[in-house]
Amino acid sequence: MIDFAKGKRAEKKTLWALRNISMDVHKGESLGLIGPNGAGKSTLLKVVSGVIKPTGGKVHTKGTIAPLIELSAGFDDELTGEENIYLNASILGFSRKEIEERYERIVDFSELRDFIGTPLKNYSSGMVARLAFSVATEADPDILIIDEVLAVGDARFRQKSKERILAFKNRGIAILFVSHDMEQVRNICNKVLWLDHGKIKMLGETHEVISAYETHQFERDTSVREKG
Amino acid sequence: MVNYFEEAKEIFRYRELLRNLVSRDIKKRYKRSALGFLWVMLDPLLMLLIFYVIFSGLFGSSTGKYSTYAMSGIILWQFFSQGTKVASSAFLQNRNLINKIYLPKAVFPLSVVSSSLVHFIFSLVPLFIIILFSGINLSFSLLLLPYVVVIVFIFSFGIALTVSTLAVFMHDVIYIYDVLLLGWMYISAIFYPVSILPEKLQVLLSLNPLYHYISLFRACLYDTALMTTGHIVFGTFFAVLSFLVGWSIYYRNKDRIVFYL
Repeated sequence: MIDFAKGKRAEKKTLWALRNISMDVHKGESLGLIGPNGAGKSTLLKVVSGVIKPTGGKVHTKGTIAPLIELSAGFDDELTGEENIYLNASILGFSRKEIEERYERIVDFSELRDFIGTPLKNYSSGMVARLAFSVATEADPDILIIDEVLAVGDARFRQKSKERILAFKNRGIAILFVSHDMEQVRNICNKVLWLDHGKIKMLGETHEVISAYETHQFERDTSVREKG
Repeated sequence: MVNYFEEAKEIFRYRELLRNLVSRDIKKRYKRSALGFLWVMLDPLLMLLIFYVIFSGLFGSSTGKYSTYAMSGIILWQFFSQGTKVASSAFLQNRNLINKIYLPKAVFPLSVVSSSLVHFIFSLVPLFIIILFSGINLSFSLLLLPYVVVIVFIFSFGIALTVSTLAVFMHDVIYIYDVLLLGWMYISAIFYPVSILPEKLQVLLSLNPLYHYISLFRACLYDTALMTTGHIVFGTFFAVLSFLVGWSIYYRNKDRIVFYL
């Protein structure tokens, strides 16, 4: 059960980034969050993952949370791939022992074994993203938070990461997924929350919400075109 | 009180992150320069050379004596000042992470002060070489050195928490603190003997925590007469005070920091 709101003071008026959001996500469910830029999707993820404390309302989470949010934030260019695996995994809260246990699997999944001793500044951006994805998804969480990060690496690695996310879902992990790619949302989510200006516009079955959202988008686009 | 403790437990849970941050800092600072780790020792030695050329004649003390005096002052001062200076922008520098992933934010200033401690330990090497050449006999008061290092560390961490938290809300704090450090250095009896100060100022020195720490440090190394109850009591008091103030400023603001980064 998640029910919260957050306020941010802007000039005289109080601007609520999120207001009256009440929803719950259970084990094995995956909830998609859609809506225009600035609707509050990422803020909602931040509130759930604990980056932001809500100014009102409550968030209840059970189990560990793994955030897949802008993966490269915790990397350092000067360090090698191996050093970055340790650094990034410890940012996610892992102990040394837990990292050592997962190290081989992380390297295998990333397919970067030949470059693991090379400083990250010599990696391509796709390679960095692959490494980051591999670290974050070895977390074995109860709740997985994904913010627009499935488009990493080449086509083959994208396929591989999609399969991994679906495997998470099948294992009964709760997923919160933010994306502008409706195809991905359809693939992964069984419930969708449409946010607009920090409020719930619609919450329900994936196909219903997405088709309503797409119709809305289409109508808005055509009305803009007529006016223009 | 319970909550204050919870946050400390969180930092302990993230100790692997702390370790990685410190080792990253050390690797990055010394890996790329030609002289590598030598720099950590050369740096205070070069500073000593400057002080020596300018001041030693002025104070009419022997080379060995002045070198030991100034060198001990320099490296303890650098432990404190470098640590807290870099820590002042610790939250701002790591805004990318703090904005995206939950972590106990205090690990950032803590890691900076910890790196400074590591540098301090390395710079003990040139200090002991100088002490050796000066023909000074080390005494049992050296056993108190760990205690002195611990209270200086706690004191520095408290200041680091205070400055880094305030800097989030007002960036000027970083510049103000920088200037403050410069003035602070001159009133900490690092490169001149306390005896040159007028008596009134000597009394005021007891309000300067760094004066107590530097005195205690010198007491451990060679001047056992400095191992006074006053220095120990004041030194410990300032460490506890700094930590309590720093922790409570950090704790009260830690959930607001993210909105200002």
